Amino acid sequence: MTATTSPALDRNLLHRLGIVAVLFVIAGLLSVLTDSFATASNLTNVARQVSINGILAVGVTFVLLTGGVDLSLGSVVALSGVACALFAHPGEYPLFVPICVGLLTGGLCGLLNGVLVTRGGIAPFIVTLGMMTVARGLALIFSGGKPVADMSPDLTGLAGDLGPVPIPLICFAAVAVLSWLFLGRFRLGRHLYAVGGNEQAARAAGVSVPKVKLFAYGLCGLLTGLAGVVLAARITTGQPNAGQAYELDAIAAVVIGGTSLSGGVGSVLGTVLGVLLIGVINNGLDLLSVSSYYQAVIKGIIIVGAVWLDRRQARS
Amino acid sequence: MRLTPRTAAGTFGLACALLATGLSVGCKKAETRKPGEWLVGYSSRDQSAEYTARLGDAVQARAKERGVKLVFVDAQADAQKQISQTENFISQKVDVIILNPCEVEASSPAIDRARAAKIPVVNVNSLTKAAPDCYVGSDDEQAGILAMEAIAKQLNGQGNVLMIHGIMGQSAQIHRDAGARKVLAKYPGLKLLDHQTASWDRAKALALTENWLQAHKGKFQAIFAHNDEMAMGALLALERAGVKKDVYVIGVDAIAQALDAVKSGRLDATVFQDAVGQGRGAIDTAILMAAKQPYEKEVMIPFQVVTRENVDQFLKK
Repeated sequence: MTATTSPALDRNLLHRLGIVAVLFVIAGLLSVLTDSFATASNLTNVARQVSINGILAVGVTFVLLTGGVDLSLGSVVALSGVACALFAHPGEYPLFVPICVGLLTGGLCGLLNGVLVTRGGIAPFIVTLGMMTVARGLALIFSGGKPVADMSPDLTGLAGDLGPVPIPLICFAAVAVLSWLFLGRFRLGRHLYAVGGNEQAARAAGVSVPKVKLFAYGLCGLLTGLAGVVLAARITTGQPNAGQAYELDAIAAVVIGGTSLSGGVGSVLGTVLGVLLIGVINNGLDLLSVSSYYQAVIKGIIIVGAVWLDRRQARS
Repeated sequence: MRLTPRTAAGTFGLACALLATGLSVGCKKAETRKPGEWLVGYSSRDQSAEYTARLGDAVQARAKERGVKLVFVDAQADAQKQISQTENFISQKVDVIILNPCEVEASSPAIDRARAAKIPVVNVNSLTKAAPDCYVGSDDEQAGILAMEAIAKQLNGQGNVLMIHGIMGQSAQIHRDAGARKVLAKYPGLKLLDHQTASWDRAKALALTENWLQAHKGKFQAIFAHNDEMAMGALLALERAGVKKDVYVIGVDAIAQALDAVKSGRLDATVFQDAVGQGRGAIDTAILMAAKQPYEKEVMIPFQVVTRENVDQFLKK
């Protein structure tokens, strides 16, 4: 595999225009319908709120590119958050310890997923479904079923701002930019597309398919751990029940962004746009005081509609 | 590595070992019943939620105190599972079933099965459509009334209020909402500016309150959250925006963190729901039922408002 431009990437750039249009239309509507949407403080607010889903979505993009799936994101977020919080009591350990514990917890869960998929030959859906319940159970065991409170202000400060910019947004932006560079410029990044596009061909071309997959699940796990740490900082506790169904929002964002569920096609840029779209919808519906019942319906329709528009445009 | 018979056997062995460890750690051995000892089945709504877990602990503690043999199971918030668990209780021939129902409608068949098998049922903490033999719990409407009354008192009956709902359609959400609205109807100066669900979840309540701060900044003076988890989320958003001093926040349940926050003056108030009282009431009623003695059809354990003045007596509980 050489680093020539893959056709999948080029098509994806064109592909994104549909989502950008939908995003602009919705943002435009919200600016007209509310006084508060198009303000600096609200846009910072949206940025802060999308960061966790953004980190997760970028992580799971790697797995989806290889043609896999990770359903354990939400549970692993909770487990990493609890693990982080357990080491974050004031005055016990320096700040990097709880952060590393959170990241490693996520990374280990991801690696285990990867090992079971590649070595065990079990379908990713089943492996990560198992991890989903195991991680949730472990989160409850380690926390004793109660939120792990009393976190040091240093750690909860990670949910604060650096100047005018929310720190969670910095994490998300860094993750997105590094992942974008990695997928486009690095050999291993290209191999991810190759494995998802045609596993046999990739293997014939000398790509170590298990290694590439293991890498994808491990990295996804590591980023899930990061999301867990950011969430714990944001809600100032390690919540064993946190993160319910987070995998759905993350996978929805990736798919809206044009990544194929069967692998081989997709981009980080698309995922970021998908994340922004979901974030803007969530924020806008609250600003408009839309009743909870209608929120769920409207959100679902917009997600499916955006994907439909996008695909239609890509075909024409 | 391919899946050879050897690795398959190894994996299977490992799985069995894990399962065995899990069983020996997670479950208590089923002992045989001593003569004259009552056997009671308890199905908890969800041992991973803080309040119902505390209630479960209280039931276990009281059963031990009173020498009742308890079969303790967790429905994990799944009404379907709760019905199967009740069927298992029936085949285990328990004397009384105590149900901490998952849902108003969906858990009702569990009651019907038990009654058909002539086993008395106690509902604890929440109601079902089908009537049990006894209900031990607290009136969630009262929690809503107490919370909104506290807000009305604080604001002298004048101001805008936001309300954060639990999961829509659950008994506690419906009744806390109804109670709050009864009080709102009494005070024409008190207006419900906006209300939305955060599904009992702290992170969701935090994001919702951040959004409200954008939409209604400076226009609201109080937030009533249907539980403490959400009240803590709202509190975080207000503190980060630096406007907590302008907004009165009250939750329900009196979880440990909320009590600490009340004590330190961060949270204004919470409404205490008495898990120990409910657990005791349930086991005591079950014993009366098993012994065929007269019992109350309804045992109401009152809610209490916790503020900085009286928080110390609750911190001990």
